[in-house]
Amino acid sequence: MKESTKAALWRALLILGGLGFIEASVRLGWIDPFFLASPVQAIGVLWSQLVSGNALYLILVTLYEIAAALLISTVVGLLVGFVLWRYQLIGASYELFLAALFSSPVILAYPVFLVFFGRTSAAVIVLSSFFGLVPIIMNTKSAFQHVNPILVQVGASMNLSRQRMFRHILLPAAAPTIFSGFRLGLTYILKSVLGLEYVIQVGGVGMWLSDAAFRFEVGEVYAGLVGTTLLSILFLFMINHAEMKVRK
Amino acid sequence: MNITGVRDAAGAVAAGAQTPAGVQTLTALAFLIAWQLIGMTGSILSELFPPITEIIKSLWHYLTTPILIPHLYASLYEVLGGLLVGSLFGIPLGILFGSRRSFMQVMEPIILYLAVVPKIIVFPVFILFLGIGTHSKLAVAAIAAFFPIALLTITGMREVRPVFLDVARTLGASTLKIATRIYLPAIAGYVFTGLRIGLGAAVTGALLAETKIARAGLGFMIVEYYGQFRMADMYALLLFIFILAALANWGMKALFSLLLPLPRSSENVAAFI
Repeated sequence: MKESTKAALWRALLILGGLGFIEASVRLGWIDPFFLASPVQAIGVLWSQLVSGNALYLILVTLYEIAAALLISTVVGLLVGFVLWRYQLIGASYELFLAALFSSPVILAYPVFLVFFGRTSAAVIVLSSFFGLVPIIMNTKSAFQHVNPILVQVGASMNLSRQRMFRHILLPAAAPTIFSGFRLGLTYILKSVLGLEYVIQVGGVGMWLSDAAFRFEVGEVYAGLVGTTLLSILFLFMINHAEMKVRK
Repeated sequence: MNITGVRDAAGAVAAGAQTPAGVQTLTALAFLIAWQLIGMTGSILSELFPPITEIIKSLWHYLTTPILIPHLYASLYEVLGGLLVGSLFGIPLGILFGSRRSFMQVMEPIILYLAVVPKIIVFPVFILFLGIGTHSKLAVAAIAAFFPIALLTITGMREVRPVFLDVARTLGASTLKIATRIYLPAIAGYVFTGLRIGLGAAVTGALLAETKIARAGLGFMIVEYYGQFRMADMYALLLFIFILAALANWGMKALFSLLLPLPRSSENVAAFI
């Protein structure tokens, strides 16, 4: 048996064992069901919400917010990243600002966005797009900065125009690093969207979780938790898969 | 000053503006002046943009009166407690999972995938178990700090070169000696970087949880000021938190760089957490 298959089997066994232990703890009364829903109950609630269409609608709202934030981050991030690379003085000046801003707990400023956009999905989208923006800007700048100069010299020796040089040399050479920026950006957007939905109680899956917690619906809280976790894992899996394809 | 002197001074200022530091200073000044003018004239959303002078006055009030002390105390308790609990689990588990290839293959994907899940969503579960006091926020901070610490410890363990271990075993070094002479120096830089990033994650986790449900804390105060539409106070508090977070980050970086040189690749690894 291959080593990776063996590891995957162990991983599955470990997860199932953990879930089995929790199930037994609740059923045997070791843990009060008021605090902890059994995995079977949580998955059952999630399934019924999916079948009724409620959860599907919430997932679609979350996906819409993620997609909108990613679109804003991508368009603005690529443009700003390119400008920061093209004009070195601007790049050297603002890179530090962006890094400092990104490492500070900017998410705590969400009430400012609520004043601007109200308690709507727009507030979630705009603030989340900031978290996707910075990695895309940084990676785009770095990607163009680290294009092999020999490739550029080859292009120049072939008398390529600026547009053709950009399209046929710079962009393909920078693409893998830019994609890493997308991957990072999308990961941050995902975390931000789900987190903000929960905190400000607006939008999709995160709002459902918050709503269930306010109603003390333990089954729904855990179903929301499982749903949010699965959605995050599925997203990361898809991003990793896409990145591997791009790098090939 | 004669005309040549004025011209030289103007030339020096213009040359200074052509440097990154010059552009940064000019940008910051332009931003502050623009905000102040908007705040003073009330031309754009007057409630949302109070004058900078008013924000600084609020910040000065926080620094010179004990008004924030109980909230600062609550937040510090949650953040530092969370960092402590996160590292008490993160470092040993990181060492355990990173010590054997088979453990790493099984556990690393689980930790990597769970690291992407926003930790704040576990807050309702902690409220059920620990109530709405400081302990539920401490738990959010702990779980937020755990992932960067554990992942960077695993990375540090992976970076230990097998040849060093082979040489040590050939020379008959005991398990304790291998741990203290080879593993510890190799992973210390990664663990410290993990602690630094973990601190940032703990700050965000705890304060964000405070904005949701709390009775005290800096995050709780942000939402209080927002609810009362005291925007200058809210901006001043945000500024206060940003400055504290930056100082803590800088302090930890300085302390760790004094203790040992940071590993080269750890910052890159950190970016993926």
